[in-house]
Amino acid sequence: MSATAQIPAAASTLGGTDPAGGNEPLVLLELIQRLKVRDVMSTKLTTVPRTAPLRQVQELMRKKKISGVPVEESGRFFGLVSIDDIIRALGGGYIDDACSQHMTTKLVVLEDDMPLSFALRYFDRYHYGRFPVLNRDQRLVGIICQRDINRALLVELTHELHRLESSSAKNAEQDGTASIYVLREFPICKYDFENAGKAANQIKQLLQEKKFPAKIIRRIAVASYELEINLCVHSDGGVLSWQISNGRAEVIARDAGPGIEDVEWACRDGTSTANEWIRSLGFGAGMGLVNVKRVSDEFEITSKKGSGTTVKSVIYTDGAEQG
Amino acid sequence: MTMIEVCEVLKADVLVKGEGVQKTVLHVIASDLMSDVLLVDEDDMLLLTSLASDQVLRTAQIVGAVGVIVVNGKPLPSSMVNVANDLRMTLATSKFSKYDACVAVHAALGPA
Amino acid sequence: MTLQGVIDAVGFESVLVPDAHVEVTGAYTSDLLSDVVAHCPESALLVTVQNHKNSVAVCTLVGAPAIVVVHNREIPEDMLDIARREGIAILRTPEDQFTVSCRLGHILK
Repeated sequence: MSATAQIPAAASTLGGTDPAGGNEPLVLLELIQRLKVRDVMSTKLTTVPRTAPLRQVQELMRKKKISGVPVEESGRFFGLVSIDDIIRALGGGYIDDACSQHMTTKLVVLEDDMPLSFALRYFDRYHYGRFPVLNRDQRLVGIICQRDINRALLVELTHELHRLESSSAKNAEQDGTASIYVLREFPICKYDFENAGKAANQIKQLLQEKKFPAKIIRRIAVASYELEINLCVHSDGGVLSWQISNGRAEVIARDAGPGIEDVEWACRDGTSTANEWIRSLGFGAGMGLVNVKRVSDEFEITSKKGSGTTVKSVIYTDGAEQG
Repeated sequence: MTMIEVCEVLKADVLVKGEGVQKTVLHVIASDLMSDVLLVDEDDMLLLTSLASDQVLRTAQIVGAVGVIVVNGKPLPSSMVNVANDLRMTLATSKFSKYDACVAVHAALGPA
Repeated sequence: MTLQGVIDAVGFESVLVPDAHVEVTGAYTSDLLSDVVAHCPESALLVTVQNHKNSVAVCTLVGAPAIVVVHNREIPEDMLDIARREGIAILRTPEDQFTVSCRLGHILK
């Protein structure tokens, strides 16, 4: 699978080793193999029949804030009208024509019982924003886009990790060994500015609920936020994870590309590979990794140009997680 | 001076009253670069900024700011109000320019 | 007040001062250059962290005679070049935007 996939790093390790150098299987990897397209897709579909004028599609897109409308009748799928089709129609003066005349029929569709890992390859290969989903009887049952995948992964991950945490705590009670007190993972997508920083905000709220000392929270939050923005702005997408146990809070950012050519340069003050567009959104001033280092007790970065990067920040918690 | 009192001085429109609305402002940061805001170690800061984006609020939460005032009378994207509510972060807008806002806040805090 | 007057009153570092007698009538604090273009008044001192040649270009555009770069950020060569060409002064301070604005507020009434 290509290393430039817009997916969490784990998916690119199918059938091989983690390109970012970690050895442990990620929870994310198992999820992507276990989940099916139908577990993740949107089933609340807005569709139109073949006779509907393109203008009606335009209205629907505006009202429902969607970018693709499938053309179907009683579940029988005929094609898709995208925003591009509408723009062309407006330009060409044929916005009142019926959908059937201008919809895209040469489409890549997914099947609802396909594993999510398969679907991710399609996103990578075809760069479409969304795919219609058909069942075994070739009937339209849903539509899937990147956002659906992120949302589903986030929900599943949180369940999975809560489960791991409580079972690990139970083990500790039983045999008195040190256990993992906080364990979280978030997939971070490339250029997903709408959500950039959300994971760090959530981890901060969690630490506040667990009554960690303010100064420790601040450092973990800053490291997390900087790493999250980095993943969003500079990588092809990746995973941000936290493990807090034995007096150590580890914040780890793993991605599958594009890799850092000169790690030392990247860790220096004011250096950045961010483009103008990213800077205009308020990111990319080049202080990120420097700041992570500044707030960390331990800092480790491994990267290779063309493959993945792993950045690890460790902040000592003095056992705050034990309450 | 508390966050809400600063809003009054700046004739600011308070869109979201967050957790820190009655807290005393201990430090003011007047920056538009969120990367710079993340370098500051102070507590209970007021963030005065011209940048109207969700990132401002997320950064403010990370650094434990008491609130955000967007200056220059900039219209805010509606998403900012939602994010401010989610993070329980006080969000206001003021027609003052950032320079005038700094001077007004400083004057209101009294002579050093 | 003249630029030299401001420099002396506040204690800025004079990195480049083509004309110390130019009149300064106010100040504008922003790190968003689009914002500076839209709102910065003429003859104002621009207070910013943006140690970038674009900041100088924007000053020329709006008629701001000088930039104060905060946090002692390094002034790159190309920023100095354009400042020399356009006759824009560059000053520097270790302090932050808020502190500098307050100081200027005192002296530029």
